[in-house]
Amino acid sequence: MNRPTTVAEAVAEQAESAGRRGARRLLPVVDEGHLSVVGVVVPWNRRATLVVTAALVLVLTALVLSLTLGRLGVALADLPAVLRGEGSKTEHFVVFTNRLPRALVGVCAGAALGISGAIFQSVTRNPLGSPDIIGLNAGAAAGAAAVTLVWPGILPAPVGALLGGAVAVTLVLLGAGRGLQAPLRMVVIGIGVGAMSLAFVQFAITRTRREQAQEMAAWLNGSLNARSWEHVTIIAVALVVLGAAALALSRGLQQVEMGDDAAVALGVPARRVRLLAVSVGVGLAAAAVVVCGPVAFVALVAPQVARRVTGSAGPGMVAAGAAGALLLVGADLVAVHQPWFGSLPVGVLTAGIGGLYLAVLLTREWRRGTL
Amino acid sequence: MTAHVDAPEQGRTIASGPARRWGLGAGLVLAVALAAVVAGLSLAVGSNQLPLSTVWRGLFAPDDTFEATVIASRVPRTVLGLLVGAALAVSGALMQGITRNPLADPGLLGVNTGASAAIVAGTVAFGALGQRSIFFALPGAFVVAVVVYAIGSGRTGPTPVRLVLAGAAIGAVLSAAIQTVTLTNPEVFDSYRFWVVGSLAGRPASTVDMVWPVILVGLLAGLALGRPLNTLALGDETARAVGGNAGRTRLLGALVATLLAGAATAAVGPIAFVGLAVPHIVRTITGSDYRWLVAYCVALGPVLLLGADVIGRVVARPGELMVGVVTAFVGAPFLYVAVRRSGSGL
Repeated sequence: MNRPTTVAEAVAEQAESAGRRGARRLLPVVDEGHLSVVGVVVPWNRRATLVVTAALVLVLTALVLSLTLGRLGVALADLPAVLRGEGSKTEHFVVFTNRLPRALVGVCAGAALGISGAIFQSVTRNPLGSPDIIGLNAGAAAGAAAVTLVWPGILPAPVGALLGGAVAVTLVLLGAGRGLQAPLRMVVIGIGVGAMSLAFVQFAITRTRREQAQEMAAWLNGSLNARSWEHVTIIAVALVVLGAAALALSRGLQQVEMGDDAAVALGVPARRVRLLAVSVGVGLAAAAVVVCGPVAFVALVAPQVARRVTGSAGPGMVAAGAAGALLLVGADLVAVHQPWFGSLPVGVLTAGIGGLYLAVLLTREWRRGTL
Repeated sequence: MTAHVDAPEQGRTIASGPARRWGLGAGLVLAVALAAVVAGLSLAVGSNQLPLSTVWRGLFAPDDTFEATVIASRVPRTVLGLLVGAALAVSGALMQGITRNPLADPGLLGVNTGASAAIVAGTVAFGALGQRSIFFALPGAFVVAVVVYAIGSGRTGPTPVRLVLAGAAIGAVLSAAIQTVTLTNPEVFDSYRFWVVGSLAGRPASTVDMVWPVILVGLLAGLALGRPLNTLALGDETARAVGGNAGRTRLLGALVATLLAGAATAAVGPIAFVGLAVPHIVRTITGSDYRWLVAYCVALGPVLLLGADVIGRVVARPGELMVGVVTAFVGAPFLYVAVRRSGSGL
């Protein structure tokens, strides 16, 4: 076949050469940019894989650092032995009771926030439509505070946070009037809903005893202090279940991003995908808020960083999750071990970085004229 | 406000003439009376509840009774509430006028946080500031106002959402800085714990002396700016055509607005949403005539702030809720009103 004579032949030839190229890479390319794992199609590209691998290595490094740094840190050489359960009593306490739960909560909560941010930024088609800006995190915090402090004993904290987050998102969507199609209105209403939610949490705090109030005040900043294995379980289960759901939805979301008509033409039920995705996003953010408080700006920054570094379109759940984990654990490491101020709640640091990032984002957007 | 919202209201002002002016004047008297009633409540309500008749006697025929002492202790707080409420409401109205932005509020735009950050920085550098704190608050408020305006404007001029987001960004950075400093110097900042959230309680008696001249000047200047702001609302082109100076009005308005916001913050800490909510409530009464709007804000700002303070004393008995928390709860829904009023522009 020297020259393709029909369109069908041309397509066939292209497919053949694409196949050859794929075969040379020795990778199971199912269709350009996607990888099929047990029937679930996952977006895939080489640069993203490299970036995610690098990010995971960095997360692992941060985990090790969080166990070894500081006055009570375990020496790197002793770490394997301690992890096998052979260290002294102090080392065992430092690693298993104090630092490992804290670091694992940081990793999982960061990943959950990152994925949640990716989902919301994708469905609103706007970087500002992320859960911390539209008041979702604050709403979840208010829900958790309501069921633990104001009406204790009725519902467990995670359920309260989930309800609070869902109520906040519903209020924002109703208030914006045009649903997810008006991200800027969502931002404005969300700032209001967030302010009211945080005011409610402050109110709840005044109803508690002093020592509990101090703990709550730290949690309200976003803090990883005094995390236990119970917290690890909550966030790990949420991350595995909802993270898998997010991954399964990510291809549909990518098509919905192109517009409802295009998505429907490709056989993607746009409305249902969006509804499911928003539910998953609320769940992830609520779980993160339960274990580390309404940490600001991780959900805004992580997906943006991921998108820039991987250079890929679409939600990029895995990359956003990895970026979120790295951001939260890294920020916590810095907040705890920086030499100037003593130990700070991690939320203070992420608020500072995130605020600067938002300012940069705004100036860049106006230079481009997209906002 | 956008032009298509203003147009019918402006029409109504012109159409009804003197009758409307009398109506608005009577309304203003009512608003002042309302402020007096809320001030009375603020003197009466607290962990020690007093009937209003006792308050009256305690104020105008003070004796040595315990009640008189209680009332006397609530006077500075109430005066502070009156001053700060008026200052924040007028500051918000001016910001909304000069940026033609229904979402403007000294708290939302980060100006109050700027003032408090400057005070905290001054405290770190020079120790407890006391009455000098206003000299840090005013420049702090002004610098942040300029930065937020610059980030929020860009090349194409400010839009409401961009300004709010710029305010949120700068506010987050400054709050993080304030938190960092206050969390690590607990002994220095013990007295700042409630001030940081915004509270009328426990402010030293000298606070009123520190801020009243500034706030009074600001309020009078705000009232004087009513007519130029009306001209500005017609749009820059038209304003120039009828002899207004848009640039000068904006500059003066910004100066007065930040002056009021800075003084209010120096007095009671960063309080958001009063400057947003009150002008929106007032607009339903006065329309968009800034001469009336600012006057009503002077009367109704204290009603909202002191009202919130009284609510804060009632809902969290025997303790009390910081007034900044209550105003967030009461005022934030007005963002919804503002979004709805700005119509398709958002």
